[in-house]
Amino acid sequence: MRLAELERAVQEHVLAGGELPAALAEAVAPPAEERWQIYTEGYRLRLIEALGLQYPALHARLGADGFAMRIEPFVAATPSVHRSIRDYGEELGAHLRATARTPDDEMLGDLAEFEWQLAAAFDAADARPTTAQDLAGLAPTDWAELRFSGIPSLRRCRTTTNAIAVWRAMQLRPEAAARLEPPAAPAAPTEWLVWRRALATEFRSVEPDESAALDRLFAGANFGALCESVVATHGDQAAVRAASWLKGWLLEGSLLRV
Amino acid sequence: MPSALGFGLGLRPVHYTAILESTPPIDWFEVITENYLVGGGRPLHFLDSIRDRYRVVMHGVSMSIGSTAPLDEAYLDRVVALAARCEPEWISDHLCWTGVGGQNLHDLMPLPYTEEAVAHVAARIQRVQEHLRRPLVLENVSSYVSYTSSAMSEWEFLAALVERTGCGLLLDVNNVYVSSRNHGFSAAEFIDGVPLAAVRQFHLAGHQDHGSHCIDTHDAPVREEVWDLYAHAIRRFGAVSTLLERDDKIPPLEELVAELGQARAVARAAGAEAA
Repeated sequence: MRLAELERAVQEHVLAGGELPAALAEAVAPPAEERWQIYTEGYRLRLIEALGLQYPALHARLGADGFAMRIEPFVAATPSVHRSIRDYGEELGAHLRATARTPDDEMLGDLAEFEWQLAAAFDAADARPTTAQDLAGLAPTDWAELRFSGIPSLRRCRTTTNAIAVWRAMQLRPEAAARLEPPAAPAAPTEWLVWRRALATEFRSVEPDESAALDRLFAGANFGALCESVVATHGDQAAVRAASWLKGWLLEGSLLRV
Repeated sequence: MPSALGFGLGLRPVHYTAILESTPPIDWFEVITENYLVGGGRPLHFLDSIRDRYRVVMHGVSMSIGSTAPLDEAYLDRVVALAARCEPEWISDHLCWTGVGGQNLHDLMPLPYTEEAVAHVAARIQRVQEHLRRPLVLENVSSYVSYTSSAMSEWEFLAALVERTGCGLLLDVNNVYVSSRNHGFSAAEFIDGVPLAAVRQFHLAGHQDHGSHCIDTHDAPVREEVWDLYAHAIRRFGAVSTLLERDDKIPPLEELVAELGQARAVARAAGAEAA
């Protein structure tokens, strides 16, 4: 068997598990069958372990066995295409939501999505966010021309359950968090901002009007256009509202002037 | 050839703070390359801080030098950029393959020891060395299966690659022991068959002994049989940079520093014996 053919056959077997295909049985010295299990089992266990580290609150909520059982179908259906195992599992939140049958499943999907964004912010590229002091010297007419992007660690996600309350409780009192029940039916979506300030990951909820403002800002609108767009909802308070958001964003360190 | 670094430890995030607070008697650290191929944040912050105080070596787990998939140039670019940041003494990875067809098994899969594999891997090592602008250092892996097509021993395979590429070797003494038990060869014969001048580094780690076979688990202290083999390696290769690895059930830093002290003692005794 040529090298390329051998590697393909071995990979297929490790991914599929089960009985040793005849071609490999011939290619491998005995005792082949049980030795292959070290690789096939190892593959499965390694990915489950990596996901446990990536999703610590989900892991704690379900317990080690419950976690393994719940995510095995995901692992089986999602081979890793990543060089670093740290990058594996981004789709877990979507998978849990897509296969949800109970409110608790929905909550677990939200929790996974939130934890992925925390992990992504954790080691995203460093950047010095724009501060109010950076803009202090601007002429009043220049403010309208300001454009911003989010800092590299800034992430946004939406939840329809009490996943964030569960996450918060897990940090403080894991045993109490295990008893927090999800709402019977999904609520209106809440948006969350996740970002990193120096080495600390932070997050907060965002109201729908602020979320729409961020959409416009990150789509390239300048601050003047942002103020105008707020007139429809905030009338003559539009400029005050927009200025208040900007002050908050600069204070929390989530923006970069572009 | 770089000078020996002494006795080092595999850098693990759980020890970051303890290392910076206590500056323990560890000569150098080996860092897992992939853990630092990130944009920023805590991993690179601590890597920089630790690099300010200690020499480091970069040790990768996903170069997949033995794979028949195309060499990942973008990955190599990122390795080069990280090397520019932390200036490692050398860059190592494993003599294995980790996946084909764009997928990754996140495991160190063994190669068949054939002429075809020597030619294939040697050509890739040369390309990597050109890309990295330095010799690549490759580690022998633990393996649980062997291929009927293998036409030479693992140490002959290593020697052939060294001869064709000038690459260095990271001799994992525990892996030699584990594979010797799994495949029924002599661990001492392996050590004695490795080209003398190529060995840049030793690895030491713990494994689990299941009687019929051993599994390389890195979850326990180094076993007596591996200390004996390490002494044998020191007698043959001399004072080679030695690195202790622990990846699971990681104990407090002091315990690993104490185990490193054991490595120093074994090396000292074996060195005295050799002299």
